[in-house]
Amino acid sequence: MLLALTETVSALVAPSRAPSDEDWAAAAAVVRAGFAKGDLIVATPAWADQVMRLHLGDLVTVGMAARLDGAKYGRVWELSQRGASALESGDGRPLRESRHGGLRLRLHERHAASVTYDFFQSWRLARVVRVEAGNREVMCDRLPERFQCPGIVWNEARPFVMEMGETLHRAFYVHPVRGATMVVEYPAVPMGRELAVGSGLHHAWYRRAATGTVKLRVLVDGKPVGEDLATNRSGFSVRRFDTAAFAGKSATVRFEITSDNPDHRRFGFAAEARDP
Amino acid sequence: MTAAPAATLPAAVPAIARPAQRRHRRWDRLCALALAVVTISWMLAVEGRQGIGRDEAQYFRAGAHYWEWFEALGTNLKNGRLGASFTKEGVLPFWSDNPEHPPLMKTLYGISWRLFHECGPNRTWHPLPASGPHRTLALFKRESSAFRFPAILMAGLGAAMVFFFARLFMGRTAAAAASIMSVAQPHYFFHAQIACFDAPITTMAVVVGFAYWKSLHSARWGILCGVLFGVALVTKHNAWLMPFFLGAHYLWMRRGDLRRLRPPRVPLVFVAMITIGPLVALALWPLMWSQPIAGPRWYFLRHLQHEHYHFEYLGRNWSYPPTELDLKLLRMTFPFVTTLFTVPVTTLALGLAGALALWRRWRSRSSDVLPIDVPGSTQASWLRPGVDVDRAPGMFFAMQILGPMAVVALPSTPIFGGAKHFMPAMPYLAMVAGLGVAWLGRALLALPLQGWLARERARRLWPVALAAALVLPSVVETRRSHPDGLAHYNWLAGGFAGGASLGMNRQFWGYSVLPMLGWMNAHLPKSRSVYWHDVLQDALTMYVRDGRMPAWPGYSGVGEEAIEHSDLGIIIHERHMTLYEGVFWDSYGTTKPAYVRTREGVPIVTVYRRPGTGGAP
Repeated sequence: MLLALTETVSALVAPSRAPSDEDWAAAAAVVRAGFAKGDLIVATPAWADQVMRLHLGDLVTVGMAARLDGAKYGRVWELSQRGASALESGDGRPLRESRHGGLRLRLHERHAASVTYDFFQSWRLARVVRVEAGNREVMCDRLPERFQCPGIVWNEARPFVMEMGETLHRAFYVHPVRGATMVVEYPAVPMGRELAVGSGLHHAWYRRAATGTVKLRVLVDGKPVGEDLATNRSGFSVRRFDTAAFAGKSATVRFEITSDNPDHRRFGFAAEARDP
Repeated sequence: MTAAPAATLPAAVPAIARPAQRRHRRWDRLCALALAVVTISWMLAVEGRQGIGRDEAQYFRAGAHYWEWFEALGTNLKNGRLGASFTKEGVLPFWSDNPEHPPLMKTLYGISWRLFHECGPNRTWHPLPASGPHRTLALFKRESSAFRFPAILMAGLGAAMVFFFARLFMGRTAAAAASIMSVAQPHYFFHAQIACFDAPITTMAVVVGFAYWKSLHSARWGILCGVLFGVALVTKHNAWLMPFFLGAHYLWMRRGDLRRLRPPRVPLVFVAMITIGPLVALALWPLMWSQPIAGPRWYFLRHLQHEHYHFEYLGRNWSYPPTELDLKLLRMTFPFVTTLFTVPVTTLALGLAGALALWRRWRSRSSDVLPIDVPGSTQASWLRPGVDVDRAPGMFFAMQILGPMAVVALPSTPIFGGAKHFMPAMPYLAMVAGLGVAWLGRALLALPLQGWLARERARRLWPVALAAALVLPSVVETRRSHPDGLAHYNWLAGGFAGGASLGMNRQFWGYSVLPMLGWMNAHLPKSRSVYWHDVLQDALTMYVRDGRMPAWPGYSGVGEEAIEHSDLGIIIHERHMTLYEGVFWDSYGTTKPAYVRTREGVPIVTVYRRPGTGGAP
């Protein structure tokens, strides 16, 4: 009986506990008043993201929403409900907190990584080649919105918002080619102590269609600094490679993409050179 | 609670008991009718708020095409060419639409639409040409309601059948509670109002199960069970599984024969299911008439090799059979965890109590809730295979509940339909919960009540009040869930928001746009280039036919390119659909939605509008 009573009351009361439009508007007004360039706004649980952007979407750029990770943000506005906390605010120091009905708004201050180079933003400066058997390099043409490699219609590389592990990230799309290595090389990159690389396989339908894996190998001035393997399960994986030996110098960063079975493998990666 | 009636009594009932029994039956029929009427009324009152999914839109279209065959049949009869309707050329043009699902319900939907829709100016949208208004009974203002009516009637029949079946095991109050709990489940309630097959096959699972149970004492019911199984076969493909679950119970019931190494003869009921069932199904499926071998073979293979659509479960997108052990194990929990999170918690707890009562009955060979059968004969008979043994109701319920779940628990079985794929288990779960109500009722009456509480009238009312209190949460939860039953999770999961946090599926097949059509109508771009995501053109057409949209709203197509060509677009939130939101951001250059449809704060549908195309942001 007690269970029946509790369940009934819960069903009647629970709907009113959800944050209302007014709660969101009030919290958004506070954010808007204190927002500074370089701040990050997050909703938690993540499923509330669309509602948060309905109220604050003009401040949430595509770059912020589809970020590599939150390391470069020094202040995080966290709009949370149901007691949730965002990953990005975990290591921060709370500066202020306010309640707006079912919403809790917190501003966290945290140490921000200094990005010395954003590889996604700089995609036009890259050199994209297909290295075929016998180390034969086939240069891909730089077009206004993408690179097109000769001989294979779908062999292209381009930047866009990609879905990897059902999360959205701005990334550079490179479809691997059977028996070849796709190379994306950036010259004269101002290096920091760390190279953060996020990668994964784009598109739920294509992940369903095949099982091949894609290997990403990262070299700085010809020296391997790390690698990652993208699989149907790996989602969007962010690796932080130690590049302290190159910090403060200018170097060539080379991304090599290969696959044992490249059918339907829509691979993408994003990277930042930075001082954490 | 009253004691269990006829089925648990010896076969020979004294003549003096018969008038009372007749009175009991009359009351039972009245109760069953009332439960059916209330169920139908409840659903008719609210179905108009529930949107049209991809599959339902296709069944509307197919049903109308099937109806055409009946019109042609009438014309041929008038012209003395009746045989023409039964030739390949007379059948295929009408019955080839949506061949992967059997026709019974679609046919009923088509007939209901033709008979009951209000035929107004929107008839130009009918799939079949109509020179003037159809002459109809005009029971329903909306065409979609006319299509849905037979499904709702089936849900009403289901409620009545659960009551009748439950009455074989428990008193009237507990049986009525079981019936209500079988309807008041948010996910079942969602499926029961729409012109699909999942609630009808759930009803048929009860109908066939009832006939099987009766066949254990009656040869007539054995034959009837074969006929009803044939009807189930043309209701939905998961009818194929029914004989396995019933057969498992049968083998358990006659396990004494197996122990003595005297395998029981195949009883009449299964002979009838294997022979009469397919014949009835063939007779009711015109598409198969000209291809009685190749047709069913194609149909079987289609479903045995069904692709895995995407489905979110516990924070993962499941779109192919898992191959790694950890994922296989996680995937196997699907039907059980889904049941745990979708069925009202009190119903689950009562089910547990009922299961405990059945387990104690089996262990101790006695029970005050459900007495052991008194054998009516010492002779086994293939015509009445249950007369000389206890019919083992515990195992019967276990097989009907766990059987469908076990099939869905196999990692190779697609799970894209969520709870609907094992919904035939739910009325049986409700019946076991009814036993839990009966058990609690007895426990209540055993308390040392004093004063007015102990008076006879109060003692009669107590169990009714208790049952009402116990079914109340399921009714309140179901009411709360509507019209987004698929996004709703129970108190244990934390409701809509809790389900979203657990990473449980929110919806599928684009039904959830209906409550925001008003917003869409008011914000249509001048270009009429609208991306409708998972809402099929058939569904949009029906919204227009129903008068929910004043005119064709525009349709830019499907896939990523359709977003790039659109000025207004929606994304219906399912985990695997996330990629389309990225296309909006890239193509529209903004992350700011123009509108978000939510339930208790959880986004269900998000709308984006291309900046600079006018109207609200």
